[in-house]
Amino acid sequence: MVSLVGIAPWSPEIVLVAAALLVFLLDTVGVKRSELFAGLASGAAALALLFVVADAGFAPFALVRTVDPSAVDAAPAGGLYAFSSLGLLFQAIFLLTAFFVALASASRPSDEKGSAIFHGLLLIATTGMLFVAVAADLVFLVLAIEVTSIATYLMVGYTRRDPRSLEAAMKFYIIGALSTALSFFGVSLLYGAFHSTSLVALSGALGGTTQPTLALLGFGFLLVGLGFKVTAVPFHAWAVDVYDGAPTDVSAFLAGGSKKIGVFAFFLVFIGPIAFFDARGAHCLTACGSVYNFHPTLAVSLGVLAILTMTIGNLLALMQRSMKRMLAYSSISQAGYMLIGIAVGTAPALAGATLQVFAHVFMKAGAFLLVAGFATIGIGPLIDDYRGLGARRPKASVAFALMLLSLAGIPLTVGFVSKFILFSAAVQAQGFFLVLAIAGLLNSAVSVFYYARVLKVMFMDRAEPVPAPLPGPPVAGGSEPAVLAAGGFGYGRATAIALATIAIVVFGIYPQPLIAAFQSAAEHFVLTGA
Amino acid sequence: MTSLPLADLLGLSAALLGIGLFGILTRRNFILLLIAVEISMNAAILNFVIFSAFLSGDAGVNGQAAAVVLVGLAATEVAVGLAIVLALNRQRGSINVAEASSLKL
Repeated sequence: MVSLVGIAPWSPEIVLVAAALLVFLLDTVGVKRSELFAGLASGAAALALLFVVADAGFAPFALVRTVDPSAVDAAPAGGLYAFSSLGLLFQAIFLLTAFFVALASASRPSDEKGSAIFHGLLLIATTGMLFVAVAADLVFLVLAIEVTSIATYLMVGYTRRDPRSLEAAMKFYIIGALSTALSFFGVSLLYGAFHSTSLVALSGALGGTTQPTLALLGFGFLLVGLGFKVTAVPFHAWAVDVYDGAPTDVSAFLAGGSKKIGVFAFFLVFIGPIAFFDARGAHCLTACGSVYNFHPTLAVSLGVLAILTMTIGNLLALMQRSMKRMLAYSSISQAGYMLIGIAVGTAPALAGATLQVFAHVFMKAGAFLLVAGFATIGIGPLIDDYRGLGARRPKASVAFALMLLSLAGIPLTVGFVSKFILFSAAVQAQGFFLVLAIAGLLNSAVSVFYYARVLKVMFMDRAEPVPAPLPGPPVAGGSEPAVLAAGGFGYGRATAIALATIAIVVFGIYPQPLIAAFQSAAEHFVLTGA
Repeated sequence: MTSLPLADLLGLSAALLGIGLFGILTRRNFILLLIAVEISMNAAILNFVIFSAFLSGDAGVNGQAAAVVLVGLAATEVAVGLAIVLALNRQRGSINVAEASSLKL
């Protein structure tokens, strides 16, 4: 008989896959109701979130704890997977994104075509993301990334009738397949160099192998492959077209959730055992003082990648006229901030990068969900189409403004907290990392321009007497009852946006418990390397 | 078994990767792109097999297992790619990637 104890740690994944199968089954037997699927998806994500938060050590939920506490943050043993506090935090972040997206999509038309595909794949993609957060083996890691990627290719193109989303799916697929091939090639070279695919085997990096050239090539290919996933700058061009062309709820999931698996993969591959252990498995922080005394080249190349990503993302965002493309470029520049944390590689920096990922769920995914909502009430895709929106839709406009201010890093928002932790970690690390902190601050200042421009258009500019009607769907959404509810967005979307806005403000004003939790998880990660 | 030198075998897989990447960068027909993607995936799979042939014990078996898993993964990926090709062809009557350029503003 199979012991249930053995599969208990996988409860979140089991819940998600079961819900996904149920969605596909219901669709097959003819129950085609979008809000039912959305309810199933958001319910499953919420239940899985409960398990993950309990596993992460949140005391009030201790009853539903499924992972043995002694297995969390254990010393690296070289298995396929390992539970770490930081990984569990990432799981919670991923599930939160899936929950928001599923909740918001409950407001879409009940008889929408492909709704089951969207919600089922959302759950499958999230399952893959959860697997990434527990990976301790390169093949396991890349397979988990691939589960997410394949599901998201289909999500981008699920409407099938919209030429723009199909084109986005095609571009996403080609770039995704290319990055997968490069990642796998890198992993295969690392297997050749280290005779194992376990992340622990990478300890000591080039010092731990007899074939340093092979290992260097392997790390290089993996860097490029993962660079595509996090939209680091030479490999970023696909993201804008994909976020622009995809259905906006899917863009929210891609920008707020699935892109961030790349960040955690960076943590695992380039920070984990490599940075913290020498070739004999001794902990490096004691042996070599600072982590990046040990790997200066890696730190500098990641730092240059971070600066390029922030700067180019920001400069291109300045020039955009389309709201979704502006948000997409801002997403690229935000990936640059996260790369700062990876380049610095100390515990506070990792905590800062993780906080930034966390803040993104509310501000970036929230902003995309809100843009999707504005589209349903007939607001066009251009920034100029938001003219005078502050007077017409005050509540939604204030929520959008808060999300943009948080993205810009204005105090009293969660975006400020994450950037503050991140940049102060870079300052603490001294030397080259001061450059990163300064570049980050300058970029934050530049980014204020394009966020403020949207605020000006929304609140200061007067709406034109007759808004230019768009060809295609009817502009005013008054005829559909679902659209009339909750200020035109539908209750699901309105709830998701309200929750995200509240989170931005609450965590912005009272971030202490959040910071403490992220710091301690990052310190555990630094100590165990997994 | 191991009569061929490792470097020659790795040269083969590197050549496969190069051919695949060249195809991805130059082909405009989606089907040919899929084939190019498949070739570059196979370079990685071949690498796993090559290295495992030079390793003994668990280390060697792990590489072969990874190779088998990757074959399955490559098939899944191509299945999704073909689904996208079908939808594209139905919508535009063409699978030329260069003609798909509506996403600009």
